[in-house]
Formats: sequence, structure tokens, C-alpha cells
Amino acid sequence: MGYGHWDDNAYAAAKTFRAAKGEDDFGYTANLRAKPANKWKVAAALNPRNATRECRDSADHGDSTPIAVLFDVTGSMRRVPRIMQGKLGKLHGLLKRKGYLADPQVLFGAIGDADSDRVPLQVGQFESDNRMDEQLRTIFLEGGGGGQKSESYELAAYFMARHVVTDAWRKRGRKGYLFIIGDELNKPALQAKHVRRVIGDDVHQDIDPASVYRELARKWHVFYVLPNQSSYFRDPEIGEHWSGLLGQNFLKLEDPGAVCELIAATIGLEEQVVDVDQALADLADIGSAAEGAAVGKALARLGTRPAVTSAVPDAGGPDDVVLR
Amino acid sequence: MNLDGHVVVAGLGFGDEGKGAVVDALCAGRPTTAVVRFNGGAQAAHNVVADGRHHTFSQFGAGTFAGVPTHLSHFVLVEPFALATEARQLEAAGIRNPLALLSVDGRALLTTPFHIHANRAREDARGQARHGSCGKGIGETVWYSLLRAANPGDVVEGQEVLGEPGEAPTVADCARPAVLRRKLDALARFYAPLATPRHSVDELVALYRDFAAAVRITDGEETGRLADRGRVVFEGAQGVLLDQHHGFHPHTTWSTTTPHNARELLAGRPHTVLGVVRTYHTRHGAGPFPTEDPAVLARYPEAHNGAGEYQGAWRAGHLDATLLDYAIAACDGVDALAVTHLDADRPRVVLDHGSPAVELTDPLAWFGARLPVAVTGYGPDRADYRVARPSRVPVTICG
Repeated sequence: MGYGHWDDNAYAAAKTFRAAKGEDDFGYTANLRAKPANKWKVAAALNPRNATRECRDSADHGDSTPIAVLFDVTGSMRRVPRIMQGKLGKLHGLLKRKGYLADPQVLFGAIGDADSDRVPLQVGQFESDNRMDEQLRTIFLEGGGGGQKSESYELAAYFMARHVVTDAWRKRGRKGYLFIIGDELNKPALQAKHVRRVIGDDVHQDIDPASVYRELARKWHVFYVLPNQSSYFRDPEIGEHWSGLLGQNFLKLEDPGAVCELIAATIGLEEQVVDVDQALADLADIGSAAEGAAVGKALARLGTRPAVTSAVPDAGGPDDVVLR
Repeated sequence: MNLDGHVVVAGLGFGDEGKGAVVDALCAGRPTTAVVRFNGGAQAAHNVVADGRHHTFSQFGAGTFAGVPTHLSHFVLVEPFALATEARQLEAAGIRNPLALLSVDGRALLTTPFHIHANRAREDARGQARHGSCGKGIGETVWYSLLRAANPGDVVEGQEVLGEPGEAPTVADCARPAVLRRKLDALARFYAPLATPRHSVDELVALYRDFAAAVRITDGEETGRLADRGRVVFEGAQGVLLDQHHGFHPHTTWSTTTPHNARELLAGRPHTVLGVVRTYHTRHGAGPFPTEDPAVLARYPEAHNGAGEYQGAWRAGHLDATLLDYAIAACDGVDALAVTHLDADRPRVVLDHGSPAVELTDPLAWFGARLPVAVTGYGPDRADYRVARPSRVPVTICG
């Protein structure tokens, strides 16, 4: 039948047709990498400069919940970004299918190194249809990075804190979900010149990354996922750094191919729709049994903690807080 | 009878006669330029088993396992989502880039999610009085294509026209986004009171453009060119007893299942019409079935056919000589028979309606007395099929 899950079906169909005509799934990257590095640039639709991203309610989606997935595309991640890019398009269908959220809206983005990369930050738009797939295909896998065990995650965090407007927060005081997928540390400071150059805000003082994450946590459930097959999967420093910033929301994932399933299960848990066992049963139910094993390990810590309810502030309160 | 030339394969029952296995056997046996589909759409389900591989052919021709390309003529309704799914299944079965084996007449009508959702909404509303539709939007696609001159409130083919109809989208439109968008917008508006699929016209336009880039779209002369290049096997979908003109209304398909479309495509070129028949009758879903007998159903288990949510139960009954003659007449005669399921243990035949079923001690002789038997077979497996050699008298060929 197939039509019950139109999103998955359309995604798969589009992929099939593109493969038949010999088109690379990630044509944007292929085209750009064929050019000299000084011509590399972010696709207009993903350019964060002077941009605002919105997750709005609509007639079709009256109870929108924003979900943002930003993944590290630098060299230390090795094959992982490509695996992510190929798998993440299914996320929306996965969430809808098990009814974890009524109206998920998904944004994808990519993180590089603002010290050394041509394209250090790419941020798409919140979508609820198959334009998500197009967004993923337009992400440029630069593969750069500086080799100093840090990437510009804090720059991405700043964008999400300051340049995203969501009806979930404004109307209902509900947090969105932000997943950062990477394998390194934040830069020691969020540099003002990077904010000016990449995002366009008139900032003249460097900012402590910890304060960016504090502000971000007001409106977002923030998770950091460290996938296997990246360079620092077994480096304890990475875990200490991110646990310090996000507490138990630091997750290690054995199988990078299970990222979609991990995100869906995490949201199911956080929404208190399922417990870990039920989330894994749901995954098996939709044919993700193999991924389920990796997800189960990643969630072992998250599932045992007492149920966390989102701190719901006064919905009429201010949108912005001052960075300190 | 010449099986080296063009062959038209038509089912003489209510479908599921074994057309797929017969087409596969014909293609595997001799060089074949193409399999041309001359009716139906994504609702076809032709089972073929060859060299340990099984596939239920729907929009791809049943000659695919034999490496024969498929051409979908303008009589076929094309559904790109299902086509992509089928391409992936074929790839999993070991066919490399199956979409490269496909060409489609640009005039073929497009079955869209709008048609499918409307089809299901109507069939659901019929409740117990279901027509036995497959729920794949076939009838709806044909119906909408008939509405060009209709106005809201008119009744066309028994269904009221609720809104302002537009032009029906075709396969050629998929390569023309502006035209396609206009037609899909009209479809969306037209069907809004009945059913709305969960997606946007934008998405469909993008997906159909990818579809158009992945398959070869041809003009109306393609079948003629193929037929002049070499042997073409014409694969019919459904059975003659479901034909839109000769079947039992309303339990019919909106399609000409007789060989007439194929004859039109052949435009006078010589050909052989092969009527496919089981040693017993079967039918899917609602509709008359004079020789139906639960004992037959219990006796002959079916490997690849089950109950469909929209289509309904799988049914079986004795061979019905009256219906068989009727089906042959509806074809304006067939040149030879392909008899399948010869492994059925002691099948019976009802010679006249009302008379008891009598055992067929030698089914092949019984069929052979009516018409030459050119192909014999058992289940869907190619290994169990025999195609008559042209030099031999076909009646003597045994499985």
C-alpha cells in the first residue's frame, strides 16, 4: 500500500529515480568540490548570514514542535556526515509514524570550523515535508576543520539561541529539540569576529561558550551525540567537556547509521510517550531492530534518570536573555 | 500459430490465470525485443519465479527476469511511486538499474495520490457493497480523464462531478513542471471535497520531474518501431471476465482487458493471440462466480495471492466451460491456449450452468479439443513451463 507513510515513500521514490539517472545523492557537494576552494560557498537556502529561521504553527500543523539537527561535517568525522546525510531524511517520517509528536518540524544544518573553513555554518529551514530531503542534499560536506580538536559548535549554538523563532516557545512555552552531532570540543571562546562574519550580528566582544549553552537551554532541549567511526569516539575529554555543559544529554552512539532512530527515541522519552523498552520495541516494529541495539546503549543513562519535565517559564516572558 | 512472431497474452478468467509466468516463459524461450503492456496499471500483480528469484510484476513487464525491456503503451496508467518501489524490489532481486529497462508512451495517464485517495474514499463509503477495487486509483484515473467536457453536477459514468474538472495529467507532463503544476492544482481542487492526500503539489511536481528524468518517455510510434525491430510480447493485465465492456458490471475494471488494444497497437502486423487459463477458475474480491466452491479453495492452496484490504478475499471454483467460451468470444477468438496449474489434482469442469461438476481425467486433452495448447505450466516457476515448438502439433505437448 505505502500511502500511509507518504513521507517515507516519497523520499524513497525520489532517491530511486535520482539513482536511476546516475545523479549523486549529494550533488551539491560533488559540484562544489570539483571547483577550486576559493569558489566554495554555502547554498543560499542554508546561509545563516542575517537569517532568521522560523518554526510556525499552520492550519496543517497546529501544535508544531521544532527539531533541529546540526551535524559536524569536518574531516575528523570521516564517513559519518555522509551516513547522516543519507539517513536523516527519514527522521520526520519516523517521528510521525510512532506518534511521538503531533506536528514535528525539522531543520537540518552543518557545522565546520570558523577558523579554517570556507563554509563553517549551514542552517536550513524548518520543514514538515520532503523539502527536508532537499535540504540535506544541499548541505556542503567541506570536510575541513583545523586539527586542534575543536570545532565551531558554539557558533551554531549562538545562531540557534538568537536567530530562531518558534511558536512552540512563544505561544506555549514549550522547548524545541536540538541535536548537535559531532566528535570534538567547543572553541575556547565564541569569537566576535566569527559572529560578525558568518552570522552578521554586530558583536564586538568574545563570548564564553558556556553562557551560550545556558541561554540555549532556556528554549531548547539540547543533546550532543558522539557517533562511532569519528576520530575521538574513545577520547574521555570529549565526554567530560560535553557532560559538563549538558549533563546527561551527552550521548555516545555506536552505530552512526542509527542516528535517526536515536533522535526519535530520545524525543519519545523526553515527551514521556514511551520508556526505553517501548522505544526499542517501536524501533523493532518499524524494521529498525539493528539500529535499536545501538540506540539502547546510547540511551542507557538517559532512560534511568527520573522523568524530567521541561521547565515551563511564563509564556508571556521575554524572548531574549542577556549573555553573561 | 506462430510463437516466434508477436504474441498477445490475454487472461481468459477473472485475472490470476498465470499471464506473468507465461510472458516470462515466452521471453526466456526466444529472442524478444520488448514486452508491451496494453492495459491496466499499478494494480496488476503477475507472479514470476525464475532461477530462485520471485517477483510480483506490477508495472514492469513479466519479461524483466529474462532481460527483456518493458514499454508501457498509452493504454497503461502509470503510478510513479509504485514504480519506484517496484524498481527497488527488482534491484534487490538482482536486476541492475531496472528503470533503464523501461520506456513509457508520453500520452499514458498518470495515477496520482489524489486519484488513489479518492478511490479509497469512494470504496470505503460503499461499505458492504464494495466493487472489489484494488484501492490503487485505477478507475478514478480513467474517470477523471473523461471529464474534460463535463460540468459540476453532471453525472459521468454513474458518478456525480462535484467540482470543476481540469485536464488529466499524463506522463509527458512530468517533464513540463509548469503544465504539470497547473493540472495537479486542478486535481487538488477537484478532489478536495472527497479526500486530500497528505502532501503538497510542489512535492509531487519535484518527484515527478525526477521520475521523468529516470525513464525514457516516447511518442506514440514506439510500439510500432519495437515491433518492426523484432518480436514483441504483449502482456495483458487482469482477465477478460473483468473487461470494462464484457465483464459483469459493476465488478469490472476500467480497462480493455481483451486483445483489442494490442491489436490496435500492432496496426495490422501479424500476431498470435494466446489465451491463458487455469485448470480451475479463481477470482479476487466481490462479483459473480457461478462455479465457486469452497472445496476447490481448500484443495488448491495459493502461494502468492492473499486477501487484499481493498480487493477482498481470494476465491476459487471449478473450471466453467460456459465462461471460458464467453471469454474466448469476447476476445473475438484466440489462436491458442496457455494452460497453467496443471499440477492441480483432478480438477473438475462445469460444462453447463446448473449441471454438476465432472472430473477432468485429462485436462490437457479437454483443452486441446477446443483449441491448440501452446504453453503448459504448473505454478509460477519458469522451470515448470513448456512452450510448443513451432514444428510440432501443439496439442500433443505435455508439461
